[in-house]
Amino acid sequence: MTALETFKTLQSSDFGRFLGGLDHLLCAVMELGHIAGMILLLASVLLTSLNLLGLGLRNVPLAQIERSTARLFWTGLALLVVSGLLIFIPAATSYYPNDFFWAKFVLLGLALLVYLTLYRRVAAAESRGALLAKTTGGLVLSLWIGVAFAGRFIGFF
Amino acid sequence: MSLIEFSQTLYDSELGTALRESVYMFPIIEGLHLIGLAVSVGLLFFVDLRLLGLFLPQLPVAQVLHPLRPWLLGGFMLTFATGILLFIAAASKIITLPVFFYKLGFIALAGLNALWFELKWGRDVDAWGAGPALPATVRLAGFTSLTLWSLTVIAGRLIPYLSYQ
Repeated sequence: MTALETFKTLQSSDFGRFLGGLDHLLCAVMELGHIAGMILLLASVLLTSLNLLGLGLRNVPLAQIERSTARLFWTGLALLVVSGLLIFIPAATSYYPNDFFWAKFVLLGLALLVYLTLYRRVAAAESRGALLAKTTGGLVLSLWIGVAFAGRFIGFF
Repeated sequence: MSLIEFSQTLYDSELGTALRESVYMFPIIEGLHLIGLAVSVGLLFFVDLRLLGLFLPQLPVAQVLHPLRPWLLGGFMLTFATGILLFIAAASKIITLPVFFYKLGFIALAGLNALWFELKWGRDVDAWGAGPALPATVRLAGFTSLTLWSLTVIAGRLIPYLSYQ
C-alpha cells in the first residue's frame, strides 16, 4: 500500500471521520496539547544541548541534567505524537502534497537518530566542551528547531 | 485616535501589508515566535519547577536562576518582538477579540509576579535558596508563574481560531 493509499484509508476510517466531525474548538485543544508537548521537549533539548556546548547550566554535570529532563522530554514527545496523530488523521490526504510535512518527518527521523546514538554516547562520556560534544549539542538543537519550524510551516502551504 | 483606528492604521501600514502579502515572512515570524516561546516559557518552566522543588532540588536556586536568566530574557525578547510583528499584520482583526486582551492581562500579571519575586526574593537568593525545601511564598510564586504563562499560551493559541470564525 502506498503512502497516499494509507493516508486515504486513515482519513476515511470510522475513527478518522469521527475526529473530522468534532467541533473545531476541540482541534484547538489538540493543537494546545501539541504546543505543550513542544515546549516540554524543546526546553529539555535546549537545556541539555546548552550543557554540551558549555553554556546554560554548565556547572551541573550533564548526566544530572539528562536524568532530570528525561521524563519531561519523553512526556513532551508522547504528547506531541498523540496530539499530532489526532490532528493528522482526519485530514491525512491534505498533508500528502505538502513538502514541509515530509521535510518535518525527515528532520524528526534525523533528530531522533542523533539523539539516540551520538548524543547518548557523548552524554555517557561526560566530555563536555570537547569538539565532539559541542558539535553534537549544536546538531541536536538545530535538528529539533528544524522540526518545529517545518511543523509550523505545514499550516501555511 | 481610538484603539480601533490605531489598529487599522497598523494593519494598513506598509509593514503590515508587506507581512500579510509575503509568502515566507509570516510563517518565518510565526516559527520564531514559537521558538522564542519554547526558550522563554520552556526555560522558565524549569526555574518554576525548581522553586516548587521538582527540578534539581539539591541545586541552590541561584545556580538555576542566574545561568538561565540571559537565555530566558533573550527568548522573551524574541517572542515579544515577533509578537508585535504578528499583531501588526492582523491588528484590526485581533483588536476585536476579547481573548487578545485576556492574553495581555495574563502577561501583565505574570510580569508583576516576576517583578515582585525579583524585588522581594531575587536579591538575597543565596540566603534562602540553598536547600530543597523553599518558603511557601516562593513556591506560590513559582506556581503562579506556571499558571499564568500556561494561560497566556492558551489564550494566544485561541487568537487565530477565534479570528477566523
